[in-house]
Amino acid sequence: MDKKSVKAPPGALMSSVDPEFSRRAFLIASSAVAVGGIGTMLTPLGNRALAAKKFEGRKVVFASWGGSYQDAEKVAYCDPFAEKTGATVLQDGPMNAAKFRTMVEAGAPVWDVVDVTDTFLYSAAKDNLLEEIDTSVVNVKRVSPEFVHKYGIGDIVWSYNLGYSTKIFNEQNHPRSWADLYDVKKFPGRRTLNQDVVPNLEIALLADGVPMDKLYPLDVERAFKKMSTLKEHVIFWQTNSQSQQLFIDGEVACGTILNGRAYDAVKKGGMLAIEWNQNIQSIDYLVVPKGAKNKELAMGLIDEMTVAENQAKVANLIAYSPTNKDAYASVDKQITPWLATSPQNAGKGFLVNKLYWQDHREKLNERFQEWKLA
Amino acid sequence: MTYQSLAQGAGPRPWPRLWWDGFLRTARQLDRRAWLVVPPLALLLVVFVYPVGWLLLRSVSDPIWGLQHYERMIERPVYLHVLWNTVVISFTVTSVCLAFGYPVAYTMAHASPQVRRLLVFVVLIPFWTSLLVRTFAWMVLLQKTGVINDVLIGIGLLDQPAALIYNRIGVVVGMVQVQLPIMILPLYTILIRIDSRYTQAAATLGAGPIRNFLRVYLPLSMPGVATGAMLVFIISLGYYITPALLGGGGDVMIAQLIQMQIEEFGNWGFASALSVVLLFGTAVTIGLIYRIAFPKELRFIER
Repeated sequence: MDKKSVKAPPGALMSSVDPEFSRRAFLIASSAVAVGGIGTMLTPLGNRALAAKKFEGRKVVFASWGGSYQDAEKVAYCDPFAEKTGATVLQDGPMNAAKFRTMVEAGAPVWDVVDVTDTFLYSAAKDNLLEEIDTSVVNVKRVSPEFVHKYGIGDIVWSYNLGYSTKIFNEQNHPRSWADLYDVKKFPGRRTLNQDVVPNLEIALLADGVPMDKLYPLDVERAFKKMSTLKEHVIFWQTNSQSQQLFIDGEVACGTILNGRAYDAVKKGGMLAIEWNQNIQSIDYLVVPKGAKNKELAMGLIDEMTVAENQAKVANLIAYSPTNKDAYASVDKQITPWLATSPQNAGKGFLVNKLYWQDHREKLNERFQEWKLA
Repeated sequence: MTYQSLAQGAGPRPWPRLWWDGFLRTARQLDRRAWLVVPPLALLLVVFVYPVGWLLLRSVSDPIWGLQHYERMIERPVYLHVLWNTVVISFTVTSVCLAFGYPVAYTMAHASPQVRRLLVFVVLIPFWTSLLVRTFAWMVLLQKTGVINDVLIGIGLLDQPAALIYNRIGVVVGMVQVQLPIMILPLYTILIRIDSRYTQAAATLGAGPIRNFLRVYLPLSMPGVATGAMLVFIISLGYYITPALLGGGGDVMIAQLIQMQIEEFGNWGFASALSVVLLFGTAVTIGLIYRIAFPKELRFIER
């Protein structure tokens, strides 16, 4: 049921009260506005007095990608926000494009802040699924301008890397390109790939010899043809945590893994390493679904996510790069080689073309999922 | 027939009236205790008939009216492939369950009461843990660095770990373990009721043990085989978690496809159409097995 149809139209209420009363109502209303105005003027002062309890007893739902990444986000972003404002931040997820869409279209999103990839941000913005970022709450100046979008704020930069098992391979002898990933004769063993169409088409084309700077627009037919040559060797991972587990369990020889997830797995004793050659970079954005119930808190939480200190904490926990330049000062030295934005890594890869995917994502993903089944 | 003419009661008695009369007559003839079925029937109506009707409707109306979802299923080989996968996996699981379950049920039916109690207990143990936990346990056991591979390598049967998971083997192993009790228990209830005088009579008339089993015991046990096989097969058709966790790309079953259509694409129409196909496939299976495995002359065992 549409919420709007339940509400009485405003005119109905006005006509049912006598004119005298409505004049009084008007006076009360206008004085309330005046008081409100004074209140607003006093906010900085009032905030200081009530600082700790701004959103006391209120809830905001944060959805992200689960596992070690969301754990890091909880510690770095959500806990400080909860402490400062008194709000409770509920964790949910994993983020799922169809679920997001269905929620918004049904008019009742249960998520307030969602961590999404840049390709999703662009297609969702196009389809009007997002609330505009309230720049009076979110201090967008903290992050570099290339990460500020009308409907989202970038919080991390990350990359898809070619991961390989160090039980099977070593520093000298390991797959060094996506072409090697596709070469099961030279590097035998099972593979693992992301179950989404992005960036599998890119990987297939790179493996087939297309140079990084000539990828887009993608040669879709060629990509599918190439992918079919590898399919019988592939286990598709559904979640990032599963990609880590497959490497830790020794189920796969090599495959796609996110740089931060690889760092996390290695930190926990996993026998794997990543290659930076031809890494495929992407950006995560924080967005608010259209019609979110706790928009005010959502914007406050996003603001908290732009703070340098918090972003540095995420980087130190899971090796995803900050979008607030000031954060780099507090990032541990041993993390730097794992960051997608480190100069020695960034130059070896490229950024996913979100403008291409904005227009082709839906159709190609459907084809990809069908291809996977066949 | 319009509602107006119904209200006026003109002409011959309209079919809803006839139906209602028939219903009342049957109701009067029924034992009073039969009314106890009304609450569960009402519950079924709400939680089963209504959603199934809704699915049926959605499969031909979402987003527009028409049979486009069913056409898509037939036109694109991938979907037929998944349907075929589902049938083949279910059939394999049923066969393995029968092969493992029959001897267990036989032993149970012919063992001393103590052994029988122990066996029933052993068979029922898996029901004490959740399906998810058992499936994850298989992941631990079957993986390359898992116990099974370690043992096989340790005793020198293998020199490379075998791929036991993320393929058909993993799916069948996981599903068989979960479903074995569902095969064994109905089979056991039939086997225990087979009158031993039949086999004794056959033996007296000169049948050797193999012939005796094949010609006398096995046919008498067929209703149990059919019930067990039917249950396992039908439950297998709708399996989701086990193939999703233990299977590879080639082992996708229809339930996973339904989930994917909703999760990945938000395509409720196509997901509904797939569910309807699953539902009718199940109904047809039940009908076929009943026809084949319950010939009339064997039904006396049921009474």
